[in-house]
Amino acid sequence: MKHGKGWFVASFLALPVGLYVWLVILPFAQAFQISLTDWSGYSPSFDYIGFDNFVEMWSDPKGWVIPGFTHTGIILLVLPVIVIVMSLFFAFMLNVGGRSRGGIGGVRGAGFYKIVYFFPQVLATAIIAMVWSQIYKPPATGGLITSALEALGLPYPEYGFMGDTSWVLTGIIAVMVWSSVGFYLVYFSSAMAAIPQDIYEAARIDGASRVKTFFTITLPLLWESVQTAWVYLGIIALDGFVLVFMMTPSQGGPNHASEVIGGVIYKFAFGGGRDAGMASAIGVVLFGVVLILTVVSLRFTRRERIEY
Amino acid sequence: MATVTYKGASRIYPGTKKPAVDKLDLEITDGEFLVLVGPSGCGKSTSLRMLAGLEEVDEGSIFINDTDVSNLPPKSRDIAMVFQNYALYPHMTVFDNMAFALKLRRTPKNVIREKVAEAAKLLDLEDYLDRKPKALSGGQRQRVAMGRAIVRQPQVFLMDEPLSNLDAKLRVQTRSQIASLQKRLGVTTVYVTHDQVEAMTMGHRVAVMKDGLLQQVDTPRTLYDKPSNVFVAGFMGSPAMNIKTVPLGEDGAKFGDVIVPLSRERREIAAAGDFDKGKTEVTIGIRPEDCKLGTEADGGIAVEVDLVEELGSDAYVYGHAVYSDGTERFVIRCDGRNMPRLGDVVHLVPEVGREHVFHAITGDRIE
Repeated sequence: MKHGKGWFVASFLALPVGLYVWLVILPFAQAFQISLTDWSGYSPSFDYIGFDNFVEMWSDPKGWVIPGFTHTGIILLVLPVIVIVMSLFFAFMLNVGGRSRGGIGGVRGAGFYKIVYFFPQVLATAIIAMVWSQIYKPPATGGLITSALEALGLPYPEYGFMGDTSWVLTGIIAVMVWSSVGFYLVYFSSAMAAIPQDIYEAARIDGASRVKTFFTITLPLLWESVQTAWVYLGIIALDGFVLVFMMTPSQGGPNHASEVIGGVIYKFAFGGGRDAGMASAIGVVLFGVVLILTVVSLRFTRRERIEY
Repeated sequence: MATVTYKGASRIYPGTKKPAVDKLDLEITDGEFLVLVGPSGCGKSTSLRMLAGLEEVDEGSIFINDTDVSNLPPKSRDIAMVFQNYALYPHMTVFDNMAFALKLRRTPKNVIREKVAEAAKLLDLEDYLDRKPKALSGGQRQRVAMGRAIVRQPQVFLMDEPLSNLDAKLRVQTRSQIASLQKRLGVTTVYVTHDQVEAMTMGHRVAVMKDGLLQQVDTPRTLYDKPSNVFVAGFMGSPAMNIKTVPLGEDGAKFGDVIVPLSRERREIAAAGDFDKGKTEVTIGIRPEDCKLGTEADGGIAVEVDLVEELGSDAYVYGHAVYSDGTERFVIRCDGRNMPRLGDVVHLVPEVGREHVFHAITGDRIE
C-alpha cells in the first residue's frame, strides 16, 4: 500500500515541481553556466572561459562593479535600520505612546496619521521616481528643496541633488525610506495590536515610562516581526534599481556615484556592456553574498518564540 | 499604610451619556480588604481602574491617603494590580516578571534578589523562578501575578477578578490564600469580583454595585441580614432569596390566601407611594433557609415541587406556587433526609420575623 501511496502523492506533485524546476531552478543553473562563458548576450555562439569573468570583475574596466557593490552594501546596511527605527517609533506613538494616564492608546489623531503615512505605498515606484526627480531638481527647473534652500540663502547643490556626486546616493536612499516607512508602520501597528493591552497596563502600573515600555515590552514582543521586516527590507535594498534607473543621470551617475548592483547587472546584460557572461557572474556572486548574509543574520537574531 | 477615598467619582465614556460609574462615594480604611461586587457591566472594574489610573476620573476625585490622585499617572500612585488574565510579561522569566518594577526604580540588585526570593517563598514559586510564563500552569501564573504585586510593597493592592481563570477547586483554595496573605501583609486591598461567594468569604466589607451606582457597603453579615434594597437582597446569597411582589392586605402581604403578617408601621411605609387605588403592593423576600416545609394548617404557601437539588447535608426544593397560575417560583432549603418528591405539593412556612420587606416601587428596605 505504501508504494501506491507514494505514486499517488507524486502524481499531485509532478506538475508544480516540474514547473518549478523548469522555470526557477533551470534558469538559475543556466545563469551559473553562462557565468563561465564569454557570451555577449547577442551572439549565437560562445566559449567557456572558466572563472575569468569572476577574476576580471574586480579589475572593473567599466568602473561599474566596485561602486555597484559598495553602494548596494551601503544601502543594505542603512536602509533597513532607518526604516525599522522610524516605523517602529511611529507605530509605537500611534498605538501605545499616547498620554501616560487613562487608557492605553496612541497620540491624538493617530488614525489620520496612519492613513497619511501609508500614502506612498499606494504609488507605483515609477511615479515616486518622477515626483522625487522633480523635488530634487535645481532651482532653475523648479526643484522644491533647492528652491527653498536658495530662498533661505543656504547653500544647495548647483545641479540639483541628483546631479551631485556627494548627494545622489543619499537622495536615492531618502526616497527608498520615504516610500517604505508607511508600509512598515502599518505592519508593526498590526503586530502591536496583537500584544494584549493588559501587558501595557501592567507595565504602566509597574512604573515604566514610554521609552522603557518600548525597549522592555514592545520591542522584545515584536522581535519576530522586526526580523521579518529586516529580510523584506534587505530585498528592497538589494534592488533599488528602478529608482536609480529613472532618477539619476546616465543610470548610475553622475560619475558612477549611484551605481547599484542590480543596475550594473542590467547594464552588462542589456545596456552598454554587451557581456551576458559578466552579468551572470555578478549575479552568481550576489547570490553567494545574499545566501551567506541570510544565514548569518537568521542565526544571529534567533530568539525563543513568544507565546501569550 | 493607606486609606482610599472616592469622592463623587464618575467615569463617563466618550460618546455615552450614562456614566459607567456614577458619583461613587466610598471610604476604604487602612488595611481593609474591600470587595467590589456586582453583575457584569455594573462599573466595578471601571471603579478599580479609575483608582489604578487606567481610566480617567471625569468628575469628582479619588484620594489615596490625603493625596488627590485623580490626575496622577499610575506610576505615581504607588499601587500594584493583579489582572484577570495576569498580564505577565511573556518574554521574561518569573524572576524578571517579579523584579521588573523594582528594576525600574533602580533598586540595588541584591535587594531585588532578596525581595523576589522572599515573595517566591511566600507563594511557593521558588522552583519556577527561571521559567517563562508559558511553562506555568494557570494557578502558578496567578501566583506570579500576586508575587509581582507583593514585591513592590505598594500602598494599595488592586485585584481585578484574579481568580476567574482558575478551575473551581483551585479558586476556593486560592481564595483563602489571598485572604490570609492580605491579613498577613496588612495592605489595603480593593478586590473586584462578580462572584458573591468570593465577596462574602473574602471581604472585610463588601460594596455592591449596579448600573454604575453603589447600592450598599457593609460587612458581609449585614449585607446578608439587612440588604438595603431588593437588588442587594437578590444578589447576595445562593440560591437567591425568594423575592415576590404581592398585594398588600389589611394585616400583611397576601400570597394567595396565605397572609404574611406585617406590623402597622411597615404597612404604612409600604403603602406610601404612587399606587393605583386598591392595587397597593409590597415586596417580600424570604431566604431559602428562612422557611421550612409545613402543612396548610401552619399557614404555609402551597408549592408544587419542580426540582429537588440534593447536596448531601441538605437539599433545595424548587417549585412553583399553586396560587397565581404557577408563575411564582420558590426555593426552600430542607433536610436532606426528608425530602418531598417531584410533583408533590408542599407548604412553605416562612419563619416569623425572618422575612425582608421592601417597598414595591422604590425597592428600598422597610424596617
